[in-house]
Amino acid sequence: MNNKSLRFKMTLWYAGLLAIALLMFGATVYVGLERHLNREMNESLVRQARTIGDEVLASVAARGSQFAVTEIDESYEPEVNGRFIRVTREDGNLLYQSHSPRDASFDATQLMPATGRDKEGYKPRMMNVGGKQLVLQGLLYETPAGDRFLIETGAPYQLIAAQLRSARLALALGTPVFLIAAALGGLILVRNSLRPLRAITEQAEQISSANLSQRLPVASTGDEVERLALSLNRMIERLEESIQHISRFSADVSHELRTPLTILRGELETMAQQRSRDAESLEMIGNSLEEIDRLTRIVDQLLIISRLDAGQAGMERELVNLGELAVSTAEQMRLLADEKKIAVHFSVEPKVYVAGDRLRLKQVLVNLLDNAIKYTAEMGNIELIVRAESGRALLGVADNGIGIAGRELPYVFDRFYRTDKARTRATGGAGLGLSIVKAIAAAHEGRVWITSTEGNGTTLWMELLLSPDPSELQLTDIERRTGAEQAMGLRELQAGAKGS
Amino acid sequence: MRILLIEDESKVASFVKRGLVAERYAVDVASDGKQGLEFAMSFQYDLIILDLLLPGIDGNTVLKRIRAVDTKVPVLILTARDAVQDKVSNFEAGADDYLTKPFAFAELQVRVKALLRRGPVNRASTVRLRDLELDRLSQQVKRAGKRIELTTKEYSLLEYLMSNAGRVLSRNMIVEHVWDESFDGLTNVVDVYIRHLRKKVDDSHECKLIHTVRGVGYAVRDESEA
Repeated sequence: MNNKSLRFKMTLWYAGLLAIALLMFGATVYVGLERHLNREMNESLVRQARTIGDEVLASVAARGSQFAVTEIDESYEPEVNGRFIRVTREDGNLLYQSHSPRDASFDATQLMPATGRDKEGYKPRMMNVGGKQLVLQGLLYETPAGDRFLIETGAPYQLIAAQLRSARLALALGTPVFLIAAALGGLILVRNSLRPLRAITEQAEQISSANLSQRLPVASTGDEVERLALSLNRMIERLEESIQHISRFSADVSHELRTPLTILRGELETMAQQRSRDAESLEMIGNSLEEIDRLTRIVDQLLIISRLDAGQAGMERELVNLGELAVSTAEQMRLLADEKKIAVHFSVEPKVYVAGDRLRLKQVLVNLLDNAIKYTAEMGNIELIVRAESGRALLGVADNGIGIAGRELPYVFDRFYRTDKARTRATGGAGLGLSIVKAIAAAHEGRVWITSTEGNGTTLWMELLLSPDPSELQLTDIERRTGAEQAMGLRELQAGAKGS
Repeated sequence: MRILLIEDESKVASFVKRGLVAERYAVDVASDGKQGLEFAMSFQYDLIILDLLLPGIDGNTVLKRIRAVDTKVPVLILTARDAVQDKVSNFEAGADDYLTKPFAFAELQVRVKALLRRGPVNRASTVRLRDLELDRLSQQVKRAGKRIELTTKEYSLLEYLMSNAGRVLSRNMIVEHVWDESFDGLTNVVDVYIRHLRKKVDDSHECKLIHTVRGVGYAVRDESEA
């Protein structure tokens, strides 16, 4: 069981508190029992001493000591009852002393004779008699005739000890059994009351931006769990509303911006096709059309970003070989690099797989490579890096171009941010390329960052969750063969790229 | 050839109609869904161009009602929405093609033409323009009888331009046709490839065949004829 789960914690606390309560209860009961037994024994010893005094010693003066000895032996049978009785005269002469009991619970002969010190009788005392505990009680008795006797009665402590022992045994055995039973009961109780929570968790895992119309199960129990489910459902509803709002907004915006652009473009194109136009007005029309193209691209890219942000971009999830995609994309853009005599080097591991939208990941590569080519001087170098690193797929595009100043680094992923304002027109982008890269990475639960030294070049990194290599899973022979061919193709591409 | 254009933005309708009429099509314009449906039910059209965002009955419903009675007439959708799910739902409703605003008129032309000749498409194995010859089977290109070596991408680009000879193709059309969506917005890749193509095809010849139309795109045509 997960030792951080609510179920475990609640049960642990509950069982712990119960254990403390049980221990305290057991201790109280035990101490109370011990006291009660001791008092009971002392009282019975005193009672016996007093009866001996009243019934036997009162008539000693009249009937003689032998009568007293016989009477005590017969009436109290201390040897049979396992009791000790000793009667001593005031002058220290012994009148009666019982022998060792038949069950040999103590040895009466080992008992020290009463001393003259106890003239006033004494409180119960524990005597060690031949290794056995004896509780002794001394009572000073004065007969009506004025004779004084010290009556000592005793009983083996073993009587109490045995009862205490069985009480201890009962507590020691009963407490854990009771505790385990209670803990198990508590566990079941907690589990039952947390079961709706589990259902809520499972359902919540299933809900993403793609199926926000779903709701969590609500068990109408009236308890906290129901309240939680209801308030989570209300939260999902608000999320759904705001996402719908965003996508409605982007649809509205695209319509409102694109319709006038369509009209502008259409009219200008019609103008451009009239053959009577002179070169100057054709130039002007051409300029306007190029600006319309730029505006169109900005609108498109903003919409892409806003849809990615809203998670409504219709993301496909398939297994993509990132290295292969990187190399093939770079190949497609080779000519752009060749134009500036830029060499593209590959440090690409062949089997780096991610689960993602192939077209969008390709867009990331296109944007990053395009940026690198734009900001690298002629004869420069670009390195394309794909590697797997502790459960992460890393994609890096490094250039040895102009670099970016440290203070500008935090803003490069911002919309419309440009590090070099002068480049705006010449390089033609809208300043949205890296924002799109960031949005795509975020839509894949990945992240992007940049490292750069001014004058020494820039590296842009994207990190995604690594997916397991499909060829290491169960595959049919055909699929495995295709995989091998692809890997070979990749090597050839790498060799080709390095050779150029 | 008779085309029905259902479009509520009168300015868009106007230049589309003008352009199509110039291409010698007969064009009827309906300015809302209701009128569009009436037209579509009353006349036999060779093609319907349908805007999705219409007052009254929206484009989706119009499309479904048209498909309910006529499954054959090609329908080209015009829309400002380019979300994938919009595209999917329209193709499911029976659209034949899809054009996102703003579009280059040249692109509309190409698509209209493609939809209208869907039956017998001219896919002759050899395309010729003046002394430039492109063989689709062997993927060989010759100029004045001399073979020109082209890379795969250069060949696809030239093939696309030659198949639409005489027509201006916008950079976006070229990117989408020869590359893919992820190169959208990166139209300088087209310029670079055109430059390479020119070097190989046109540089050593007096008569240039690859032409730039500022702000619109590129065209392969024989201007000496005009």
